[in-house]
Amino acid sequence: MKSWPILALSAAVALAVPVVAHDGYIIQLLNIAILNAIVVLGLNFVTGWAGQINFGQAAFYGLGAYTTAIATKAGLPWIAAPFLSVVVVVVASLMLGLPTMRLRTYYLAMTTIGFGEIVRLMIVHWEPVTGGTSGLRAIPGVSVFGFGPQGQVQHYYLLIATLGLAILIASRIRHSVLGRAMIATRDSEIAAEQSGVDTIRTKLLAFMIGAVYAGLAGCLYASSIRFISPDSFSGTQAVLLMTMLIVGGMGSIAGCVVGAVALTILPEALRFLGQWYLVLYGLGVIAVIVVAPGGLASLVSLSQLRRANAG
Amino acid sequence: MTSEPIIAARGVTRRFGGLVALDDIDLDVPRGIVQAIIGPNGSGKTTLLNALSGASHADAGSIRIGGNEIFRLKPHRIARLGLARTFQTIRIFENLNVIENVKVAAACHTPTSLFNIVTSNARQQQSEAEIDTNAREALEIVGLAGRANDHAKQLPYAQQRLLEIARALASKPKVLLLDEPAAGMNMTESMTLLATIARLKSSGITILLVEHNVRLVMGISDHVTVLDFGKKIAEGAPSEVQRNPLVIEAYLGRRHRHA
Repeated sequence: MKSWPILALSAAVALAVPVVAHDGYIIQLLNIAILNAIVVLGLNFVTGWAGQINFGQAAFYGLGAYTTAIATKAGLPWIAAPFLSVVVVVVASLMLGLPTMRLRTYYLAMTTIGFGEIVRLMIVHWEPVTGGTSGLRAIPGVSVFGFGPQGQVQHYYLLIATLGLAILIASRIRHSVLGRAMIATRDSEIAAEQSGVDTIRTKLLAFMIGAVYAGLAGCLYASSIRFISPDSFSGTQAVLLMTMLIVGGMGSIAGCVVGAVALTILPEALRFLGQWYLVLYGLGVIAVIVVAPGGLASLVSLSQLRRANAG
Repeated sequence: MTSEPIIAARGVTRRFGGLVALDDIDLDVPRGIVQAIIGPNGSGKTTLLNALSGASHADAGSIRIGGNEIFRLKPHRIARLGLARTFQTIRIFENLNVIENVKVAAACHTPTSLFNIVTSNARQQQSEAEIDTNAREALEIVGLAGRANDHAKQLPYAQQRLLEIARALASKPKVLLLDEPAAGMNMTESMTLLATIARLKSSGITILLVEHNVRLVMGISDHVTVLDFGKKIAEGAPSEVQRNPLVIEAYLGRRHRHA
């Protein structure tokens, strides 16, 4: 396949980064970028493929993070935390998805905004458990039977490996009955139904798989960053995740990763601009949408197409 | 031997506000034939197809497909009972390539298991291989095998129509509903389409065809049903229907004056 060299090169670059960048700050930033990439990959199932607008992804991210933080601080062995986080987000996504997946796009967007707000309010006001607006500190780290990553570089490798797995699973789903059914549902719900696709079930599965991605990323966020606060999982974050998906390229796995990494690093890289940063950031996002409506990922295929036409 | 018709509809009625789009329609389609539904614009042909396929449910009536009552069943359930269709306005999956479009329907009878997909185990690979074979067969039938890996939206219009037929065939239907399959096709393309329909019939698929172009359907149909203003006004062999004064008045007559 043509994508193998690109894939191998990206993997090599990803593995070599900590050797070049010794700065703990940069590694920490990259760790957050990788976590965001996993969450955006999750969002891509329901929004990029199944075509349902979902502003609840940040809330699932938060549910996973808070579940892990609260449970491990209470003494639960870390190994159980990912499972517990998955159970919590699966239950939450079922409760939200079962009634709303019958609704059309805009109602779903509104419902998920409401859900995000409910989760945020719960986190802010249930202070004795969640720490309220000041968040939770000193969250126990990743530890599997006493072994766990030490320092940011080791965490980086753990997160890169998780991202690799997340990409592999997303790619397998894309090229399966389920992935095709998701895209068919987005392109024409009625034609998908008449082809035997249970579109409500397909949308619900996309929504749940996306929530599981967010929940697991949240679990790793809590145990590798070791500090969480409601700001990281707010409505603003939900919009940012959607922007990452759009800028990177809806429906493209590579686009999700590129979009998440670019929009996590860019604000830090542009920090020297002070208040002008937001202006430039906004213009940049608009420029991408105008020049490449299919996102950064579509630039690659566009240039391939031009070369094919020219040659 | 009297075998039950593959489609048996009784008293199918559909209202849009005050407009009665389908008025108490009875329809029997025997197995293995090509049956056409004709009628002037707005006579309820597509509404009837939508009621049969579940795309837009009838308000009243009974519809049996292969002996199963499908009234108010979800379209995907009806599809799995062996009814496939194409659309008057093309509805291909633009973000999938040609063969993936067909694979969506080829997976109609394959249960999805997330565990098998994620682990990509032997069972998963075997079922993907089967889906691939079925999809390629369907593309072969309509003559699109050579374009399997092209983007679906890059196909010319007439080939997009053929792709819809291939997609419908991939679910291995007992009945195939074709909604104006020749719309937008030139003479050569229409002739190829007719030959394809004849081949499908000889392979045992029952075909129910909605068509605006009367001359096109008369040659290949075994049986013709004529609708006008949501009512069935005539039914029978093409030659009988053509002589029916009611039909001439409602449909052929008006067309002749324009022509």
